Amino acid sequence: MIDFRIDPEAQARLAEAAEIGLKELRPAGLEADKNMAPIPVGDPFFDRCLERGEGGTSWTGLDGKRARSPRRSVVERLLLSEEQAYWDRGVIIALPGPGLPENNVISMGTDEQKERYLGPFLEPDRPRWACFGMTEPGAGSDAAAIRTTARKDGDGWILNGAKCFIGSASRSDWILVQATLDPTKGRGAQRAFFVEKGTPGLGSFKIEKKMGLKAYESTSFSLDDVRVPAANLLGGEARYESSAGFKTAMRTFNAGRPQIAANAVGMARSALDESIRFAREHDLLGRDRVRDRIEAISRKVRKARLVGLKAGWLADEERPNIIEASMSKALAAQMAQEATTLGLELVGIVGARGDHLIEKLYRDVKAMDIVEGTGQVQRMIVARTLVGLPR
Amino acid sequence: MFDLEPDDELALVLETARRLAREELVPPMRTHEADRAISPALASSWEEVGLSTLDVPIELDGAGMGCLARVFVNEALAEGDVGAAIALDPYGTALVALLEVGGLEAARTLREATGDGARRALFVDARDALVSEDDAGLTLDVPWVAADEAVALVLLDENGVCLVTEGLAFDSVRGAGIRAAGGGRLRLDGAPVAGRWENAEGAGRARARARLHTASLLLGVLSASCTFSANYAQERQAFGRPIAHHQALAFLITDMRIALDAARLVVHEAAWRVDQRLPCETEAASAFAEVIEVGRTIGPNGVQILGGHGFMADYPVEKHMREARALSLLHGGFDAAIEDAGQALIAQERPLGLGQEGAL
Repeated sequence: MIDFRIDPEAQARLAEAAEIGLKELRPAGLEADKNMAPIPVGDPFFDRCLERGEGGTSWTGLDGKRARSPRRSVVERLLLSEEQAYWDRGVIIALPGPGLPENNVISMGTDEQKERYLGPFLEPDRPRWACFGMTEPGAGSDAAAIRTTARKDGDGWILNGAKCFIGSASRSDWILVQATLDPTKGRGAQRAFFVEKGTPGLGSFKIEKKMGLKAYESTSFSLDDVRVPAANLLGGEARYESSAGFKTAMRTFNAGRPQIAANAVGMARSALDESIRFAREHDLLGRDRVRDRIEAISRKVRKARLVGLKAGWLADEERPNIIEASMSKALAAQMAQEATTLGLELVGIVGARGDHLIEKLYRDVKAMDIVEGTGQVQRMIVARTLVGLPR
Repeated sequence: MFDLEPDDELALVLETARRLAREELVPPMRTHEADRAISPALASSWEEVGLSTLDVPIELDGAGMGCLARVFVNEALAEGDVGAAIALDPYGTALVALLEVGGLEAARTLREATGDGARRALFVDARDALVSEDDAGLTLDVPWVAADEAVALVLLDENGVCLVTEGLAFDSVRGAGIRAAGGGRLRLDGAPVAGRWENAEGAGRARARARLHTASLLLGVLSASCTFSANYAQERQAFGRPIAHHQALAFLITDMRIALDAARLVVHEAAWRVDQRLPCETEAASAFAEVIEVGRTIGPNGVQILGGHGFMADYPVEKHMREARALSLLHGGFDAAIEDAGQALIAQERPLGLGQEGAL
């Protein structure tokens, strides 16, 4: 039955997220932006995250009894993402935890892999991170084009290549590296490997300088004859028949796009509230032009939120959401850029000083139209289904 | 918690509406337009279907399915032919406007005046009319209504509604579109007011329902335009491939579809709020503005995709373009909608905060 309600429990969790956002995420994000550097590994901010029960896994353990972070519906996760990103999107990416590859490990990993790689996140003794190594200098949205190679060597694998823009890579306990057995064979030849911190050949970590979202590290690194045991192949060889290897990555992208859209909605809402606050303080709300622009952005925020939630709801219902996921991201990212642009135009020359929240949001939000497939790639994905646009 | 699945009853009604639109409304679309009326056979067969009383309360012998069901069905029917959809609906928003402002008794008055829906009633927002009143009665001039005749008028203003059942005069006008429902300039010249109900809050909700009603009809027209032009673009060849496979058009079609789907959700959410008795005026105004804005893009681009063919009356997209624009001018149009929504928004500290009133 059609329902747009947020149930009281979820509402309470959102209220809690808002409180943490105000007290923790927003100040940490502003500080990182001022310092122009990621939040350092030893920062007490991360200890407080653990104290609040964050930084764990939603995996329930091999006995199925443990769960540090209860698994919520996709819709609720999107609402939470929106609320967190409202306060600071960069900081939520910096948060400790098994991060992006967690779902892949839960859905595809062997029991041994789950225990080894997610086990430490059940009751983390310290802030721990993991990350997914997909993007390469020559392969962004076109994940099928990756060039990092995996070569069978006795009972193990040898990895060679370079990755870039990988979140939290230098601080991760392990990286799930996407590699190909043969770059000429496309998606079907791709595999994912656990590469643990300190593995010889894994190195040249370089934290990139970014325009925004400075609170988390985006890192490039190289893999030079990195040898990993056969047990580090995600899911084992049997999992990789046909094109399943590539689908590992695609599955992440499908889950990720509405998430990015929710982030964009949160950031846009942040810019909107700040714009209204500024306009009220400066007696601008009586001007038709100002009010009309605020109305237009509010409307776009509202619709982008609903499109994202629809994609999430379809995922909860285990129905295909490829079109909706792409639509949500294409729409929300564009809208959020407009929201921050409007905000800067409202605050005027003050925004040029470089220390205004809306100016930060303007820089931060651009990434939402790029990560997990650019807006153009999203349109290509939709158009393939809608009108059979050839690949 | 968030759920977009219509319940079984609505799903069934919707399936019926879509089938009827496809089979009964689309084929005679141009004939109805030329005749400025639907065929008597269609009109008489429609009474048995029961779609007209979908949002009429059970107490008044309706289905009592509410605003959300109405917007779903409106879209389905308007996707077939919006003129016929309006012609086949005896009340439009007239009955629910009376209901919101004056309650069941007021609505019952209209049921009686129309012979339980045997004849049409009109809803007019005072923002679309020149209105004055003196001892002689109500004088009014509405440049266009999608009707040639009606037995009752429900006129909405900021304070409430009044019902007029005598003295309705129509001068036939060509109409920019929606001709299957007729088209006239409506005048009253000192007409007696049969009833008046004042309730500003109810008037706000009545306007919300009226906007959502029109917005949902608009959605149907735009959906038809999107579907037709996208299908055409996959068949029509230019420069050695379907025109839809040129990225400029592929992206245009994609953006049209994204805009339509998004606007539909916004309308549904606002209609859901109506049924939940939650504040809905801002959301409805915003939803109406959104659909109008989307229509500005989809209407003309539906024609554009067909090129020269789109300009010709041989294809329905030119009709969609005209009719979407005409619908967009109702209730004070876009400017009134963004004014209402904007004023409400700036009065709030955090207008789109999550979880207010337990809803999005």
